[in-house]
Amino acid sequence: MEKEAILELRNIRKVFDKNVALDSVSFSLYPGEIHGLLGGNGAGKTTLMNVLYGLYRRDDGDINFHGQKLNIQGPKDAITHGIGMVHQHFLQIGSYTVLENIVLGTDVSHPVTMKLSAEAQKIIDLGNRFRLPVDPNAVVDTLPVGTRQKVEILKALYRGVEVLILDEPTTNLTPQEVDDLFESLRVIVNEGLSIVFITHKLREVLHVCDRITVLREGRNITSLTRAEASEEIFVRAMVGDQMKIEGSVYFSHGSMANTAVDESAIPALEMHDVGLKTKEGISRLAGLNFQIRQGELFGVAGVAGNGQRELAECVTGVVIPTEGKILMKGEDVTGVSVCELLKDWISYIPEDRLHDGFLPKANVAQNLILGYHRQKPYCEGSFIKWDTVYDKVRGYIGEYKIKTNGPEDPGGNLSGGNIQRVMIARAFSMNSHMMVAHNPTRGLDIPSMDFVYNKMLERKETGASTLLISEDLDELLLICDRIAVLYRGQIVGILDRKDFDKYAIGRLMSGIQAEETADLRAAS
Amino acid sequence: MTIVRKLVPYVIAIIASFAAAGIFIALTGANVFQAYETILFTSFRTPNGFVQTLLKFIPLTLQALAFTIPLTAGKFNMGGEGQMIVGAIAASVVGILGADLPAVILLPLVVLAGVAAGAIWGFIPAWLLYKFNINEILTSMLLNFVSFQIIDLVATGALRDPVAGHPTTVQIGQGGFLPMLIKNPPLNAGLILALLVAAGVYLYTTRTTGGYELVATGANPRAAAVFGINVKRMFVFSIVLAGAIAGLSGVIEVAGVQHRLIVGLQHNFLVLGVIIALISRGNNLAVPFVAFFIAILEIGASAMQRTMNVPIEMVFIVEALVLLFVLLSDVFRRR
Amino acid sequence: MESLVTFLRLTLLSMVPFVLAAQGTMLGGRTGVFNVAQEGIMLVGASLGFIGSYLAGGSTLVGIAAAVLVGGIFGLALAYFTTTLKMNQFVIGLSLLFIGTGLSTLIPKLVIGVTLSQPLIPTLQDLPIPLLSQIPFLGTVLFSHNILVYFAIVLSIGLWYFLFRTQLGLELRSVGENPNAADSLGINTSKHRYMTAIIGGMLIGLAGAYLPMVYTGTFTEGMVKGRGWLTIALTFFAGWSPLPVLYGSLFFAGIEVASYRFQAGGIAIPYQYLLMVPYLATILVMMFTFRKTRVPGFLGNNYDREKRSL
Repeated sequence: MEKEAILELRNIRKVFDKNVALDSVSFSLYPGEIHGLLGGNGAGKTTLMNVLYGLYRRDDGDINFHGQKLNIQGPKDAITHGIGMVHQHFLQIGSYTVLENIVLGTDVSHPVTMKLSAEAQKIIDLGNRFRLPVDPNAVVDTLPVGTRQKVEILKALYRGVEVLILDEPTTNLTPQEVDDLFESLRVIVNEGLSIVFITHKLREVLHVCDRITVLREGRNITSLTRAEASEEIFVRAMVGDQMKIEGSVYFSHGSMANTAVDESAIPALEMHDVGLKTKEGISRLAGLNFQIRQGELFGVAGVAGNGQRELAECVTGVVIPTEGKILMKGEDVTGVSVCELLKDWISYIPEDRLHDGFLPKANVAQNLILGYHRQKPYCEGSFIKWDTVYDKVRGYIGEYKIKTNGPEDPGGNLSGGNIQRVMIARAFSMNSHMMVAHNPTRGLDIPSMDFVYNKMLERKETGASTLLISEDLDELLLICDRIAVLYRGQIVGILDRKDFDKYAIGRLMSGIQAEETADLRAAS
Repeated sequence: MTIVRKLVPYVIAIIASFAAAGIFIALTGANVFQAYETILFTSFRTPNGFVQTLLKFIPLTLQALAFTIPLTAGKFNMGGEGQMIVGAIAASVVGILGADLPAVILLPLVVLAGVAAGAIWGFIPAWLLYKFNINEILTSMLLNFVSFQIIDLVATGALRDPVAGHPTTVQIGQGGFLPMLIKNPPLNAGLILALLVAAGVYLYTTRTTGGYELVATGANPRAAAVFGINVKRMFVFSIVLAGAIAGLSGVIEVAGVQHRLIVGLQHNFLVLGVIIALISRGNNLAVPFVAFFIAILEIGASAMQRTMNVPIEMVFIVEALVLLFVLLSDVFRRR
Repeated sequence: MESLVTFLRLTLLSMVPFVLAAQGTMLGGRTGVFNVAQEGIMLVGASLGFIGSYLAGGSTLVGIAAAVLVGGIFGLALAYFTTTLKMNQFVIGLSLLFIGTGLSTLIPKLVIGVTLSQPLIPTLQDLPIPLLSQIPFLGTVLFSHNILVYFAIVLSIGLWYFLFRTQLGLELRSVGENPNAADSLGINTSKHRYMTAIIGGMLIGLAGAYLPMVYTGTFTEGMVKGRGWLTIALTFFAGWSPLPVLYGSLFFAGIEVASYRFQAGGIAIPYQYLLMVPYLATILVMMFTFRKTRVPGFLGNNYDREKRSL
């Protein structure tokens, strides 16, 4: 490497409350490269880049840019120096137009009349140049995720950044969209910009990055160019020495034994023409017909917002479908309340743990019995047996490795990964015929993900079924027996394990085959 | 040890607010330390002072609980005042119309009427929240202003006591009087009712499944709903229960203290109740203790105005400042 | 006809406290600061407006300045506790409400002492606009008012233009919709929140001062009579937008004037019923509009940059 690094982070330290998130981490970026920042959840990748972008104040360390020491106090300083960041959760004003979102915070040509035709033209030009076409006058809320991401990237390019940070940019994209994104990234670096690409997906960095830095538990592990790296080195760097890679599900490439499913037994779940409409008459789910067999691990793929949450909530009884019938083991459970279903029938890991699953103002014990508080052994008559509850909860804290000070610790003290462990512990704490798990591994590090996969595979042996709804296609391909693809509230295809094909599923996810399948169905 | 540590911010808050008020009191030209002494010790100097304090303590505790119960479910009941007034109205109307009934019949009727009226007055904002999703803070508050007109209407209408200068009804029947615990100075059995309610509310929220559901609803209504708790019903239930308790405070004012309906009997109880509830940080166990402390200040404040000519509002500012400082101590603990 | 002119004229006159307080509330809400202390700030504004004017020998200007100043201080306190210390907005609002209510009666007692009859201050003069005020009907209804009536109308239109047609307005609204987004683009969220909370507080204080300066000439305990709370309802169903706030204020003022006119008209209903009307009407209107109105996305929340999204 003869080139000079344009950006260097040295010995960055960041502490949240008492948790050390970054411990003396260093990072350097060369001009014109795509630099992968790789690591499991909680490794500190996003924290490091938020420090660079000025969103987090660093507790120690230096930032050098073009050989000069930078004192970044906030995003404004980062932007002024030509650093832009696209966050995993897009930072956009939903009610504003694309144009308003992009020019927000910059000085426009007509600040007291807001005639923005010059700005709109500039956005269109940038879109053409970098293969990121958008309509400047569209309202952001109405746009699909892929387009909203283009808006985010344009927001940075519009400000003339030299360094572009992308945080997990492939979440929620179909494999085809991922390919398009990678092409755009190539165009961008060919124009002289540098890119930091944050991801936990090894294959992506190997595919697109020139250089790769691996973080684990807030420390630098290794930094290598693409040419000198092998997959094994990275795997070991990501998970550390503690985890056995050979026996793990995560690194098995889906080769673990698939136990046969008993097809003669009554299906665990049957959906008959299930549909859901909002009060305003907008269709969220339509014509869902499928069966999940006993002992089956059934996956649902799709781009977020295509009805996954509604599907999960119909099956768990949180919402009642407006059309059709749901049967569990032959019994009609349409309209049965969650409260009843939580007794033996179902268990639920909701997608949005903070909003749908967790009580931040209640303690860990209160969180772990949520939904089961009217069941034995937690209650006796109208009274809760707190002694029993605390005993049980102490057990779960140990088994699921929840980092907490005990059952009475307020939920708000837990980190994201630990909250997810609470969700998982609760769902596995009681028997259920059908587990509905929606993005269950979000926020977990690799060993914990492996733990969850193992738990799910164990369920198969007892004949219990699992409905795994995930935005992570790789996860579904890894452990599911079958995968259904959800597009605009409809199932557009169900594939058996032997027919799994990433790109075929990707096409279904983006609705490309939807019309053809509909034709086929009409014909048969 | 932990209880001591928990009390420290309260002690600091009280000292700080007294210091702040001392400056104002000094500006009025009064003797600051004499003022402090009057505020803090009037309640304990005479039996009458102590009973007066207990009589303040009753409605203050009930009003504070009428705020903390919905607060546990994450809702704000600002209608304690109106619920108290309609409770008092119902109690007096029943007490006057049934004046000839014996105590075994009339007293339960008076209490039930007042409690039911308070519950109904609480049900209105609860129903508007349930049905139309209207913010309960606004509706419960606006209903207070409606209740001011209703009490005026009743106290100046057919039941008016013509000899009284202030709008007041005639006395309710003897049978509707709450029994006395002490004859002189008069202390009525409302004290026992208030303590029972406080204990019941505490046990309910900490030990029962229903109480757990209330807490879970307040902690995160969305998650509680996803896991099978009917949160809208919890909202309605908590506000109606609060209304009933506030209504009971009105009953005690009528059947225990005044024996008639007097316009303005709600004094400042809503605001003080909210202050008590917030100083207690919504903890039902702490409510009676804080309420007792505020009752001491209130009795002291009246004495200070009488004997030293320092406006009673001075103490009200102290109370508001105690609240502010207690809230501030949370911020410093977070750091 | 005569009574219609009077009714419309009085409606415009009574609209002012609603407009000022609701625009103040709206402005704070547009950056996410939800003020619930209106009733207290209006009371203290009324009290200090009266005292200021009284002490300055009847100077309206001093009275207004005092009310605006104290309103601004309350706004500053709200901004400090919520934006800097990140304390619960509703609880802080309530505390400020209580302090404002207490101060409003304490200050006159300290300054004037306890007297049987409060002194009077001169009320605001009407300023008929030359020529326009000569137009029959409209001249009386629209163009012969005190200066704060004109100010309320100009303010409403000005706020609309500012919020929706300027770069600063775009930035300001973004803070109330999604401060994470605004902050990531280098917009100073705290500055915007402080500015709107303070200016909002000033407007609410001024709204309070209007009561002694136009209606009564003196301060009486609790004289705001729930107008502060009505203002919050008004701001909600005006969808936190300046022009609907103006129309909504006319509606509120209309109801208020109507209930007083009926009372004076000697109609045989007990006056108490008429005095309930504004509150009941407000609840009724909320039943039909509350669900449909839009609220700034981050209303009532505090933004903490370093709080990690879990």
